[in-house]
Amino acid sequence: MNPKKLTIEKIQEALREQRYICDRSLATVIYLSITMGKPVLLEGEAGVGKTEIAKVLAEVMETKLIRLQCYEGLDASTALYEWNYPKQMLRIKLEEVRGGDREVVETEIFTEEYLVKRPLLEAIQSEGPKPPVLLIDEIDRADMEFEAFLLEVLSDFQITIPEIGTIRAKLRPYVFLTSNRTREIHDALKRRCLYHWIDYPTFEKEYEIVMTKFPEVRGRLAKQICSFMQRVRQMNFYKRPGVAETLDWASALIALNRQEMDEKTLEDTMGCIFKYKEDLHHLREELAGKRLVLDQMLKEMPELSA
Amino acid sequence: MQISDEAILKAVDRFAAIRGKGTLANLLAFGRVLKEAGVKVGLSQVIDAGRSLEFVDIARRDDFRSVLRSNLVSDKEEMPLFDRVFDRFWQEHGFEEPPMESVEMSPPSAEQKSGDSVDAGGSLEEVVAQGASQEARLNEEAERFPVPTYSPDEALQKKDFSEMGVEESRAISRAILLIANKIATQVSRRKKRATKGEEIDPRWTMRKNIKYGGEIIQLFSRKKRIKKTRVVLLCDVSGSMDCYSRFLIQFMYGLQNELWGVETFVFSTSLSRITHLIRTKDIGNALERISHSVLGWSGGTNIGRSLYAFNREFAPSLVTHRTVVVIISDGWDRGDVGLLEREMKSLKRRCHKIIWLNPLLASENYEPLCKGMQAALPYINLFLSVHNLNSLIALGRTLQKMVA
Repeated sequence: MNPKKLTIEKIQEALREQRYICDRSLATVIYLSITMGKPVLLEGEAGVGKTEIAKVLAEVMETKLIRLQCYEGLDASTALYEWNYPKQMLRIKLEEVRGGDREVVETEIFTEEYLVKRPLLEAIQSEGPKPPVLLIDEIDRADMEFEAFLLEVLSDFQITIPEIGTIRAKLRPYVFLTSNRTREIHDALKRRCLYHWIDYPTFEKEYEIVMTKFPEVRGRLAKQICSFMQRVRQMNFYKRPGVAETLDWASALIALNRQEMDEKTLEDTMGCIFKYKEDLHHLREELAGKRLVLDQMLKEMPELSA
Repeated sequence: MQISDEAILKAVDRFAAIRGKGTLANLLAFGRVLKEAGVKVGLSQVIDAGRSLEFVDIARRDDFRSVLRSNLVSDKEEMPLFDRVFDRFWQEHGFEEPPMESVEMSPPSAEQKSGDSVDAGGSLEEVVAQGASQEARLNEEAERFPVPTYSPDEALQKKDFSEMGVEESRAISRAILLIANKIATQVSRRKKRATKGEEIDPRWTMRKNIKYGGEIIQLFSRKKRIKKTRVVLLCDVSGSMDCYSRFLIQFMYGLQNELWGVETFVFSTSLSRITHLIRTKDIGNALERISHSVLGWSGGTNIGRSLYAFNREFAPSLVTHRTVVVIISDGWDRGDVGLLEREMKSLKRRCHKIIWLNPLLASENYEPLCKGMQAALPYINLFLSVHNLNSLIALGRTLQKMVA
C-alpha cells in the first residue's frame, strides 16, 4: 500500500482484508501516525488486539515487522546495540600476530562491522525500500530507565553511539508501543505519542471479529459466544476475558464440532475463557447458584442490528 | 477528581476571550480549558494536534474528535473528561472554519507581533505568543477577582496550619526524606559498573584493556543496582484520625514530593485519589484543593470498602510486585471486617510490602484489639508507630535496620 495515498477508509478496509476489524477512531490514529510520523501508544486490557494491530499493519504495508519485547531489566545493550566482543578480540589477536598498527586496530574495531544490531538500531537503520513497522511490546514491563533510551529514538529517530556518532533513520519506521497499564508511562514519552485506548469490543464488533476469523462457524454459535462474553465482562471476575479468549474459545468449540452452546459444553471448555482458579470457581458458583442462567441469557441474546 | 459541568462551562467562558476566528486560536483555548479541567496538556501536543488537522476532514465531527483526543489525551482516565469538555467547547462554537492557513509555519514579523487581536491568518508563533500574553492577562484577572468558593473544611485546616512553624515543618520534611529513602529502596535487576562487583562486565573490560593491545590484564566488574520502588500511600482521614490531620498532610505531602512516583489516596468511607492535588510545591493551596475534592473528610471509617475500591480501580495499574503500600490508619473500622480481610489479602498478593503506620501504637498500653486492626494484622509486613516528629525519626531508624 502506498503511504502517500492513504485515507482513513482505505486503512480500515485494508485491515479488514487482513481480518482485523478496527473502528474508525483507531483507523484515524493509525492514519495520522503514518502521515505525521508520530509513534502510537496503544493501551487496553489484555487480549484486545494491541500487538495484533502492528503485525497486521506490517502485512498491509508489505513491510517487515521489527519487534522488541520488553521485560524487566531490558537495557541498552539488548534493545539498541552491543559491541561484538568475541569478534573484536579475534581481530586484536590476529593483528598481534601480524604486527598491525595499534591505532588503526583501535579505531577499526569500533566500526559498524563490529556492531551487533538490536531491534531499535535495526529499525532505525532499515534500508527499505519501505519503512519497517517497529513494535515495542508491553513497554510497562520495562523499567523506567528504559523509557529514557526510547525518547531519543522516538522523537528524533536517531541513536547516538559514543564510539561512532549519531545514526539517523533514513526512513522513519512506523512505531507502535503497547502497554497493559501495570504502571504509568512517563509523561515525556506519552507526549511524543498519539494515544489510543482499545476497549473491549461491542457485541456487534465482536461478532464480526469471530465471523471474520472463523468464516466456517455458524452464526448462531458465534452470537452465543459473543453474548456470553459480553455478559461475563460485566461480572466481577479477577481477570476479565479479552477478544483473544473469545477467539480461543471459538476455535475450541469448532474443534469439538459443537453447533450450539449448552451448559455441559461451557463447563468443558471454560478453561479457554478463564485462566485463574478463583475465576473458574466463581463461574461455577454463578452457574450453580442460577445467577447466571445460560438458557435464559441465550434467549435474551441481543439481535444484530445489521 | 470530579469536575462539575458548571466548572467546565465556567472554564470555557473564561477562555472565550482568547478564542479567535481561526481553528488554531480555538485549539489553544481548548488546550487551556482542558488544562483547567485537569488534563495534562502540553503546548507541543496542541501544536501537533493543529498539524494533524491538516490531514483529516474536520467536517466529520467524529474524526475531528479522535484526532484531538489522540493528540491531547494520554491517559484512559482522562477520556470521559475530554469528551465532556469537547462537547461543551465545540458545540457552541462549531468548527466550520478552514484551518489550513492558520497552521502554516512562517517566520513572525515584527509588526505582526505587535498586533493585539488574534488573527486567523497569523503565523503559528504569533498566535502562540498572543495566546500566552492573553493567558497572562487572564491569570491576572483571575487573581484580582477570586471566584468565591465554599469549603466546609476550611475552619479545620486553618486551625491546623496556623500552628505549624516553619522550623517544625522543615524538621518533618527531613525525617520524611530519610524514611522515604528507606521505604523505597530495593535491589534492581539492572547492573552498574562497580569496583567490587559480582560479575565481569565484558564491555568495559574490553574497552579498558585496549591500551594493552587487547590483552586482558585488568578486569572490570558490575553489580546489581539499588532501585527505587514505587510507593502508594493510603491515608485515613476519618473523624478518629482528626487530631493527626495536620501531621498526616505533612506526611503525604512530604513523601510525595521527596520521592518519585508516589501515588497518594485518602479514605474515610470512600476513597479519593489526591496525587495530582499535592503535586505542587505549594502546600497551603494544595490543602485547599484537597478539601474541595475529598468527600467525607472527618467522617466515619470504612477501610474494607475503601480498600475494595482501591483494589478494583487503581491497584491493577498502580500496584506491581515492586510497589510498597503504606497505610496510615488507627484501624477503627465501622465496616465489614470480612471484606477488610479479603481485600488486605488480595492487596498483599499484589504488592511487594504493606507497611501500616498506626498513630495509636505510640501510647504504651495500646494493643491492636479493635476488629479491623486484628483482621489486617496477618497481611502487614511492618506495623509501626507514627504520630509526631520524634516517632518519625525513630521510624527512620527502625526502617534503616530492617532494610539493611
